[in-house]
Amino acid sequence: MKKIIKIFVTISLAMFIVSCTQDLPLYKDLTKKSYELVNQDSMRVIFPEVIKGNITVMGFIYTHCPDICPMTTHNMYLTEMKLKKEEIEDIKFVALSFDPERDKPSVLKRFAVMRDIDFKKWTLITGERKVTYDLLRRFDVRAVATDSVFYDDGEMSYSMMHTDRISLIDKDGRLRKNYVGSKINIEELIKDIKYLGEY
Amino acid sequence: MITLFALLTLFFPIDDNIKIVDPWMRPNANGMASALYLTIESNSEAADTLYKVKSELAERIEIHETYSNGDVMGMREVGMIVVEANSSFELKPGAHHIMLMKLKQDLKKGDNGDFTLHFKNAGEIKITSVVRSK
Repeated sequence: MKKIIKIFVTISLAMFIVSCTQDLPLYKDLTKKSYELVNQDSMRVIFPEVIKGNITVMGFIYTHCPDICPMTTHNMYLTEMKLKKEEIEDIKFVALSFDPERDKPSVLKRFAVMRDIDFKKWTLITGERKVTYDLLRRFDVRAVATDSVFYDDGEMSYSMMHTDRISLIDKDGRLRKNYVGSKINIEELIKDIKYLGEY
Repeated sequence: MITLFALLTLFFPIDDNIKIVDPWMRPNANGMASALYLTIESNSEAADTLYKVKSELAERIEIHETYSNGDVMGMREVGMIVVEANSSFELKPGAHHIMLMKLKQDLKKGDNGDFTLHFKNAGEIKITSVVRSK
C-alpha cells in the first residue's frame, strides 16, 4: 500500500511540474547570434542586446500596410496601456520592419509619432535587407512583396504578404510564445507576461 | 423643365436607399497608406455595386480585401463591392477596406476627410470620415 501511495505522489508531483512549465512551452534561444540594425533615430542597435533584461513584446510590421500591421501595432499599444494601468512598466515593445527598402528610420519615426508611441518603451527597428531577413528567419516570419502599382509620377509601390505575428520574449532572450498579431487576445498576452515576470 | 430634370436624374441619380454608416480611417503620415472603413446599408429592393471611391486625400484609392493563408496575411484589389438588396455590407479591419495609397497629407487622430463613393444605381454619395487611433 505504501508503495502505491509513493507512486501516486511521484506521478502527481511530476504532473504538477509539467503543468507549470507547459504554460509557455515554446522555447527558442535568440541570444546565439547578434544582428546589427538601426532604430527610429538612426542609432545602431544590436539585437538581442536591445531587449536584454526585459520581457519583450515584439511585432513584425511594414509601415505602408493599411490594414493588418496597424492592427498589430495597435494591439501592442493597447497591451502597453493595460499594463500601465496595472503599474507594470518594465516591458519593452519592439517593432521590426520587414520592408527595409521603404522603412528607413525617419519613416518608422513618423509612423510611431502618428500613433503616440512612447519611445521610452518602444524601439522600431530596420536595417540592411540581409540582416533583417536573417533575423526574421529566427522568428519563422515570412514576408514577400506582392501586387505593385505605379503612381502618375512613376514611383512604384507594392503590398506585402506576410506572417501576422506578435512574439513574447523572456528576460533571458528566449522566444516563449507566438500570437497572431492582428487578432491577438490581449488578456492572454498580459497573463503570459505576468507569468514570465512573476508579477 | 421636365426634360432637364430627367436629364439631371439620369446623370446624377437620387437614391437615398443607400446609407453610409460610421466611416473612419486609420492614422498615418503623408506619403504612406491608410484604410477607410464603413458600413453600407441598403434599403433598396435591388442590389447595388460600389465600384469607385474618390478623394483628394490620397494619390490612388482602391477597393481591397485582406485574406489569410494560415498565419500569413495579404491584400488584393477586388475592384467592387456588391451590396445585396435590403442588406448591409461592413468594410472592417482584417476584411474589405478602401485602401488609400500615397497619402497627400498626414492623417492624425481627429482629422476629417471627404470622399465620394460611386455606386452603379445610387450614383455618387458624398461622405466625411474621421481618423481614429486604431
